[in-house]
Amino acid sequence: MLAVKELCKSYAGVSALSNVSFSLNRGEVVALLGANGSGKTTTVQSICRLIEWDQGDITIDNTDIRSSPSFLKKIGAVLGGCRNTNWRLTAKQNADYFARLRGFSGTNIRQNIDQLHSALGLDEHAKKEVMKLSTGNKQKAALLSALSYSPDFVLLDEPTLGLDFNTVNDLQLIIKDQLQTAEQGFLVTSHDLDFIDKICDKVVVLDHGQLLFEGSLDTLKARLFKYELNIELNQPIDMSILHSLWGGRFDLQADMLTIKVNYELPDQSLKMLHYLHENNIQPLRLEIDSLSMEKAYQTLVQQKDLK
Amino acid sequence: MNTHLFFNEMKLQWYEMRQYWFETLSGLFFIIAIFLGLFYGIKGFVLEQGDGQSLDGLLLGFLLWTFASGAYGSVTKSVIEDTQKGYIEQLFLCPNGFISLMLYRSLSESIVGLALLTVIAYVVMGITGNWLNINFAYFYGILLLSAPSLVGFGLMISGLALLFKRVETVGALLNLALMGLVALDGLPLNVFTFLPFVPGASMARDIVLDQSLFRLDHLLIVMANSFVYLAGGIFTFKALEKQAKKRNLIGQY
Repeated sequence: MLAVKELCKSYAGVSALSNVSFSLNRGEVVALLGANGSGKTTTVQSICRLIEWDQGDITIDNTDIRSSPSFLKKIGAVLGGCRNTNWRLTAKQNADYFARLRGFSGTNIRQNIDQLHSALGLDEHAKKEVMKLSTGNKQKAALLSALSYSPDFVLLDEPTLGLDFNTVNDLQLIIKDQLQTAEQGFLVTSHDLDFIDKICDKVVVLDHGQLLFEGSLDTLKARLFKYELNIELNQPIDMSILHSLWGGRFDLQADMLTIKVNYELPDQSLKMLHYLHENNIQPLRLEIDSLSMEKAYQTLVQQKDLK
Repeated sequence: MNTHLFFNEMKLQWYEMRQYWFETLSGLFFIIAIFLGLFYGIKGFVLEQGDGQSLDGLLLGFLLWTFASGAYGSVTKSVIEDTQKGYIEQLFLCPNGFISLMLYRSLSESIVGLALLTVIAYVVMGITGNWLNINFAYFYGILLLSAPSLVGFGLMISGLALLFKRVETVGALLNLALMGLVALDGLPLNVFTFLPFVPGASMARDIVLDQSLFRLDHLLIVMANSFVYLAGGIFTFKALEKQAKKRNLIGQY
């Protein structure tokens, strides 16, 4: 098991991570979610020891990763922004190089690379150096290098960034296949909630370096609001009565002339609409939107209402 | 000796030289062209002075500088170029440590460099007709023993590159300074002995040009010079690497 325990990191007095704890088991996919600057990449880089953190521990099978660099044999990483391969080599040459760099070689490794190369759809680009590949195929080449020696834990930092729909689907299939065949644990950071939704067992949400949520994706989904009501008025409304118009779980933000409410069930809004009608209040604008998972998640993070 | 890392770096050299054969060949031609320009530029002047020994010195100095540039650049090139090309973070994930990886990379590049140096030496001697009686095994032995001082020096500059990123100007200046280093005389012991590579270059010159006898005290000075600069380079790089990791600067460009 890979365990991050009360990890703290700050830069020039500004906290980047504050007491972040979570775990990743073999055969499990954990998503690390959060906006830009939330601490996702800092966490991944800490696990790779590319960053010196201030406090806390990171352990693999109960061994502190600072005690020996040999833990890196158990880690495969695709770091953000296509920064993972030697662009002057082909995908297969990269995979061979990085497997040997971690201390792995031989027939089994070569066979594994060949199989993954085909599964990733890279065979038709076998003779091209990475610099000549498309963004999606560059990402696949990076994944090939990270998976080539079958590490116990694979860290994927924003793996879907810049990829088209088909490539994202391919990536999902590959991760699912690896889970079944190689019993690897995946830690995935992403903004793409649809991608996360299809592959992850557990979600860790960070915001400004703080852990907002750790639990199953279903639990997170249950906390997401499904609707958003926006009203623009031409006359001020009695603010004191607004909260009493809503039941159940909701989040209401209002000033004199605008009202924004996030809520869970369609009939929660009826009392509000009835009040407007009864008091003959004519809205300049009234919209009810069904929130996508992504938008709902963003709304919830902004409200810091995940705990 | 970690043969795994060594052969991996040799293989990387082979891949790059084979796939970018035009770059490899044009690099060789470029070096040879520079030398020929220098050689014929000063030949007339030197012959007027009746000093044929200077042409031999120029040839040997050129070979020493070519080797020194390669050994010094093997680490700095990796850190600076791989930071720009973007996979230096993956090199830091080497379980044997980044410094070990760089040392094996330097060794493999030096060995390949010596092979290319032999080609360059024979080509320039053939073209200029200025044949040196070089015992290559002896010559290369001295160069390999003195190369760690340049690698250590390269590690110091590379550590600065991790922190300050844009150190190409400093690197280019130091590359030129190497011309001075290979020309200085660091043997017997004097103030220049303490500069990197100077004792090694002096010993190579004494043996190849002056046909001097092998001296154990000179060899010990060369080894001590290498040891001090390599140890200093490793210490400096580790300290700067720690700073870079604290500030999250590895790979950021």
